[in-house]
Formats: sequence, C-alpha cells, structure tokens
Amino acid sequence: MVSKRDRLFHLLLWLPLVGLLLYFLSLLGALTPFFAAETFFSTLTSPSVQSAIRISLLTATISTLLAMAIAVPVAYALSRFNFFGKRLIDTVIDIPMLLTPVALGTLLLMLFNTDFGLWLERMGFSVTYTINGVILAQFTVIVAIAIRLLKSSFDDISPRYEQVARTLGCSATRSFIRVTLPMARNGIMAALVLTWARAIAEFGATVTLAGTAKGKTATLPTSIYLAMASADLEQAVVLIVILIVLAFAVLLATRLLATGARP
Amino acid sequence: MVRSLQITILLLAFCSLQTPCFAEVTVFAGSASKPPLEEAAELYQSETGIEIFLHFGGSGAMLNQLRLSRKADLFIPGSPDYMLKAQRFNLVDASSEKILAYLIPAINVLKGNPKNIHGLADLGRPGIRVGIADPSGVCVGLYAVEIIEEHHLAERVRPNITANVESCSKTASLIPLQAVDATLGWREFEQWNPDQIESILLPPEQIVRLAYIPAAIATHARNVKEAVEFLAFLTSSRAKAIFAKWGYLTSEEQARVYAPHARIGGEYRIPEGW
Repeated sequence: MVSKRDRLFHLLLWLPLVGLLLYFLSLLGALTPFFAAETFFSTLTSPSVQSAIRISLLTATISTLLAMAIAVPVAYALSRFNFFGKRLIDTVIDIPMLLTPVALGTLLLMLFNTDFGLWLERMGFSVTYTINGVILAQFTVIVAIAIRLLKSSFDDISPRYEQVARTLGCSATRSFIRVTLPMARNGIMAALVLTWARAIAEFGATVTLAGTAKGKTATLPTSIYLAMASADLEQAVVLIVILIVLAFAVLLATRLLATGARP
Repeated sequence: MVRSLQITILLLAFCSLQTPCFAEVTVFAGSASKPPLEEAAELYQSETGIEIFLHFGGSGAMLNQLRLSRKADLFIPGSPDYMLKAQRFNLVDASSEKILAYLIPAINVLKGNPKNIHGLADLGRPGIRVGIADPSGVCVGLYAVEIIEEHHLAERVRPNITANVESCSKTASLIPLQAVDATLGWREFEQWNPDQIESILLPPEQIVRLAYIPAAIATHARNVKEAVEFLAFLTSSRAKAIFAKWGYLTSEEQARVYAPHARIGGEYRIPEGW
C-alpha cells in the first residue's frame, strides 16, 4: 500500500515521464499530415536513398568504433593518472563539445587546406568531400562525448580492484582487460549507443567537410536537408521516418543485447 | 594482440574507403538551381559515364567552401553577386563564365493565395507573416532587400518579417510548411512544388534587377576537360529544355518579358541595419 506522501512522490516521477513521452510522440505525430505511403516506397527504393542509408550506417559504425578505440585509453588515462596539465588537457578535449558542428566542420576544412592536409591528399588520403570526410566529421563530433561518458564510468570503479588483481600477479594490461573493462561494461555500452546515435544524426560538420553529393557523401541527415532544399516536404518526411526507424531498431537491438533482453 | 589486429582491420577499412580514380566533375552550387541541375547531371552521367557530384548549399556558404577546400571543378552560385565575389578571390576562371538560366523576383504564397496577397504593398499589411532569405549570404534574400528598399517599403514590411532563413531553398520550403504567409523569392519556386506554391508576379516596373544563374570553371579545378564538357552540356539545348521544364527562363528575351527595363546582374550593397 503506497502512502499518500509516497503517492505524491510517485506522481512527481511519473508526470514528467508521461509528459516527455507524449511530447516526443506528438513530434512523430506532426509528421503524419505530410506522410504519403506511395512516396515512402518510391523513396525507399530510390538508389540515392539506399546509398544514403548505406553511407549513414557504415560511417556511423566506423566513426563510433574509431572514437571508442581512442576514447577508452584516453578516458582511462584521465581517470587513473595524475600528471602536469591534466585539467588543461581535460578541458581541451571538451572543446569539440562546446563548438557548434558547423564551426567544427569549418575548422576541419581549414586544417585540410594546410600543407599537412594537402600532403595527406598527395599521399592518396583524401578527406574533403569524400566519405573519409564524413567519418572524420562524425568522429570529431562524437569522440569527446565518448571520452566524457567513459571517464565517468572509470571514475566510478575503485582502483582497489585493479590493485588487488595486481597483487594476485596480473600485469597492468591484464588487470585492465580482465577487471576494469568488464566492470565498465555498462558505461561502455552506454557510450557506444549514445555516440553511434549522435554519429548517425550528425549533419553540420559533415555537410561542411564532406558536402552533399548523392551516392558519394550524402548521409540520411544530408538527404533530409536536400529534400527540404527542393521544397519537397513529402520526401523529407519519408527520410525522417527512415532515419527514426533505423536508429530506433539499432539502438533497441543494442540495448536488448547489452542487457540480456531485460525490459 | 587481438586488439591491435582489430585496430589494423579498422584502419584498413578506413583507408579502403578512398575514392577510386575515375572521370568525375565536382560541382559546388547554390540551391537556386537544384532541381534542374540534378536532372541534367543525371542525364549527362547516364550518357557519358562521367560522374557528376553536386554539392548544394547557400551561395555564400558554397563560396566559402570553395575558398577553403578548392575542391570544386565548377562553381554555380544562385546569382552573379557571388560569381563576382568568387572572381575577386580568384576562385574561378572569369572567361569561362556562362549563364544557365534567369531568375525573376516574385512573391510566393500558398497555393490558392488564402491571404489575398497581390503585390508588394500587401506584405506590409498587419498580421501578414513574411519570410526572406538572409540577405548577407543568400542571393534571393539580397534581391528581396533590394526590392523592399527600392520601393521604400522597409518601414512597413520589416516588422512583418518573421522568418529569415539561411538558403534559397529553405525560403521556398517556408510556404509548404506554412511557416509564413508569403516569401519574397523567385518566380521559379512555383515549379519546384506546384501543388503548394503559387508565385505572384510583380509588375515589371517593380522588378529592379533580374538575377541569373552563372556557372564557371574553378581556378583549381582538377578535372578541367570534364568540367568544360559538362558546362558545354549545361548550356546546350537539351539542358536548357530541362531548365525550362522546371520553369526556368533560359534566354534574356524570355526574362525581359517580365521586366523590360530591369538591370541584369551586377552587385547590390545591403544597407546598414539589415
């Protein structure tokens, strides 16, 4: 039996949840007047949209894996070691999160117009207006988010567990792999899911660094922008629906896998 | 060991995404020409096998991207103002410039004209929501401000401007979204979405300047031969037919019907305060 006082507390918890859910559902509902089934199928089967789906899934996955590969050691180092200038370095790493993606894209464009960027290009590694640019733009936007999430996850794990593993004969690498990483599993999964979601939705930096070429660099968000650019609301709506369905399916599947199908 | 192997595989996958070498043309274009340019590029690509990569955005944004990346072979802004700027920065070969189509300033409203907007004066009526493009970065916004200022309507129309958007195409989208009652855009917007957009033509004497869509080879073009050929195709009668299908006027004589005495091209300096 829930007491009257607790009932108020429960109400205060449920009200924002229900309100937020209704608000998000109403956003989806706003699409319906513009949604046309025939446009949906013709859009879904068009080569440029299929290419945008492929590019979005591929680039978001690669950029997320790259970001995680960098973020795990960086976050661990920031969490465990004290060194000169740590706070400054920690703040510098946050800069991409403070900058608007368009500004980041512009900085990237400037970087690849320097001697270094032009040398890279001569070596055959082209970034601007290529799919590499899409991946790099997404990576730049998400890597700081991944580091922040992972660092707080490592901060929550007491170093004593690693110390115990070391006294039992584990090397630093082995104690990290066998003790810390499994304990940070939930944090790593959360970082993976959030950064992938952020990567697939990335637009500002991507469009600035990689442009909008259909079949080459156009992602789903870019295609939505292009559909809006033709005053074609129906197609934009279909693309929004595709992006929502794809992202929802991948995120739900990841969550279910991570939690062993717990609700 | 396993981890380093995984990273190596990832890096290999990343590097394998390099663009292969084949005949291609990269175009930076203002979105004023998006629908016909896409269709013309598709036709050209299917006939020649040369890949045409179109990057669209506001003309100012595309000009900046051209400055920073020097990656385009062809530059097609929405109006001559941005072509002149590109020439000043030595980003395009001025001698290669061609005109693809003409644009006529007009008022755009929702199909059926529910707010009974018939001329510039109506944009100053109380309660009318007007949208324009950002005049400092988008051609159509620049022309809108020029018309408003030229006819001394700034005092009446400016309070009604509720939307100021960052690209030509977004200006056109404001009408189907019903975000505003009218936009000062191009006559050609109607053909982009004829079910929802209606263009109200301005009397010839109110049209100060006609715009055109210029195209020129970029100074740092890497595929000059292909770009020259594609540009020649864009000015051919077949490409002109595509532009005409989308409601664009492809000759000065056609454009002159709407504004016999208007200036064509040139630049306009936005007055302070806009």
